[in-house]
Amino acid sequence: MNMSDVLLTFESVEIRRGMSIVVSDFSLTVSSGEVVALHGENGCGKSTIIEAAARLLSIEKGQISQHGKMVIDSDGRRVMPTAPFGLTLQQNGLVGSDTISEHLKNMMSICKMKTNLAPILSQYSLDHRSNDLIAHLSGGQQRKVSVIAGLLPAMISKSPRLILLDEPDAGLDDNSIQTLCQHITSLRLAGHAFLIATHDERILKCATRINDLKQDIEQNPTDGEAWKIPEVEVATANNFIKVGFGYNFKTKAGFANNGIAGLLTLGILLSLVEPFELNNLPGLKMGFVLLPAFVAGLCGDPVVNLLRENRALDWWQANTSTPRAVILPMVGGAILTTISSYIFLENLQIIVVIAGSLSTLLCSLIIGFLQLSTNKLSRPQAVFIRLLTPILILPWSIIVNELTAYI
Amino acid sequence: MGERIRISFLGLGFVGIMSTLYLGLMWAPSVAIDAFESPAAQKIFYWHVPSAWAAFIAFAVLFVGSALWFFKRSPTGWRLHVAGAEAGLATGLMTVWSGTIWGSAEWGTPWDWSDVRLNTFGLLTLLALFLVLGRRSQPDGVETRDTFSTFGLFGFVLVPFTYIATRFWVIRHPGPVVAAGRDGSLQSDMALVLLIGAISFTVFIIGHILTSMHITKLEQRVEMLQSEIDRSV
Repeated sequence: MNMSDVLLTFESVEIRRGMSIVVSDFSLTVSSGEVVALHGENGCGKSTIIEAAARLLSIEKGQISQHGKMVIDSDGRRVMPTAPFGLTLQQNGLVGSDTISEHLKNMMSICKMKTNLAPILSQYSLDHRSNDLIAHLSGGQQRKVSVIAGLLPAMISKSPRLILLDEPDAGLDDNSIQTLCQHITSLRLAGHAFLIATHDERILKCATRINDLKQDIEQNPTDGEAWKIPEVEVATANNFIKVGFGYNFKTKAGFANNGIAGLLTLGILLSLVEPFELNNLPGLKMGFVLLPAFVAGLCGDPVVNLLRENRALDWWQANTSTPRAVILPMVGGAILTTISSYIFLENLQIIVVIAGSLSTLLCSLIIGFLQLSTNKLSRPQAVFIRLLTPILILPWSIIVNELTAYI
Repeated sequence: MGERIRISFLGLGFVGIMSTLYLGLMWAPSVAIDAFESPAAQKIFYWHVPSAWAAFIAFAVLFVGSALWFFKRSPTGWRLHVAGAEAGLATGLMTVWSGTIWGSAEWGTPWDWSDVRLNTFGLLTLLALFLVLGRRSQPDGVETRDTFSTFGLFGFVLVPFTYIATRFWVIRHPGPVVAAGRDGSLQSDMALVLLIGAISFTVFIIGHILTSMHITKLEQRVEMLQSEIDRSV
């Protein structure tokens, strides 16, 4: 491992938070085998630098590179880093419905590697909890999971990896901080690089340099043994559709968000009219058949809604592409349209079922895209993005008109 | 001086709009009895078309402002974005509201979900509503401005699309009146009232935009002074 590899570079970076310039003309290089600790008062910009390095914030001036390749610049270009990196956000970025091992396996899948997690979990006293849902853990235990996920890319890699940790000590007990310090030291000695925002004296002692955002102060860090890589196997990465399917299937979020809305619509339609009363109104009949699937789609992407918890969406966006629900909305739309076809048409037309299935899928994808486009706002849930969705009624009504011929 | 100009534009525009209404309702000739389902309701045209014209101007201002903020980080650009969104919302609602009344009388329905012109114009108005409400729900900052100006830029794509919609998909809404070529010829008295209406709405919307920009500037100054007080405490 070449210890002089530069893993992270900030070049004259300026970052705003709100209307204030939080970081101005900031330059920094973090090389293989270095631990740079960002140290300073609250609000001085430590977390801003960590999040910018993870491409989660826009930068006003300059550019940031990982492994010598630009990952974000002031022209708004964002490029996925060439190598995976570890990230622990201040808010853990965990999904409550994942188990500990599922979350860590997701991280390993992003790194395209896999290993036995038990020895690592046991060092943080979590091995007995590996199959527990993250939502069932205490705040401190959740923090441990988030820290392990941040360290994991380095723990399972022979090549130097960049690790970004934002106040990893927050909420950890003394033993866990001690373990974390040992891991930082041993991974540093194995050639990995760290950028850590912290106030904790024990973690500061692990740093090769302390940066207060104005100047670097070099120091002799605590010594130890280099990290020994556990037995690892090469694995294939899960794509965003597979991960999205996993979340949707496991949490039944699609049924809870979209399916119930579709079934309620069907019930409301049945309360308004007896199916035979529509016999002379084919357009209305087709509209009734396709409406439940359309309403289910209008409820948006259930996986995007799910990932809004604890900044999990940011964690996924930093590490890879955002998981999306694709398969189950299609299936859900097809099921809803099949039921409504039997009720209102008394037969099944494949083309109608396909139209219902696609309308659920496309609506949920479009609304998911709109939700993602406002995710950078301070209060993404408070924005009125769904005001733009009535335009979807136009193509839907055209489809209804076209399919009326099939009655 | 600036205040006098703003009030002059608003006042002149308001008087012009009231005059247009009076002329349209009392002076302009009625359409032929067999030309429309509801000839009396056609008089809404003198309000509906000029307000749609003003809405397109407002959306153009929104686009310019969004582009200036997004590409140049211009504070004036952001004020234009805010003013364009507010003016677009006001005039968009005037157009949609008058259109639904006219539609009820003429077509027997206030809205047609399969008509491309109605729906794209409705989307533009909803976009303006989204920008106005969204801005108020978020703290001011570059992320907020970047996100909303992106929507402002994409929204403008709808303007030419909305304009040409009736040339390609005439479902219920009639073809263009302004800049329509030979197909859009009107009787001279009708055209005169329409012209007065278009000029009045234009003057009024300029006054509205100037006032809105001034208010945004004052809001930003208050925020800056509050931040200075925060820092000094």
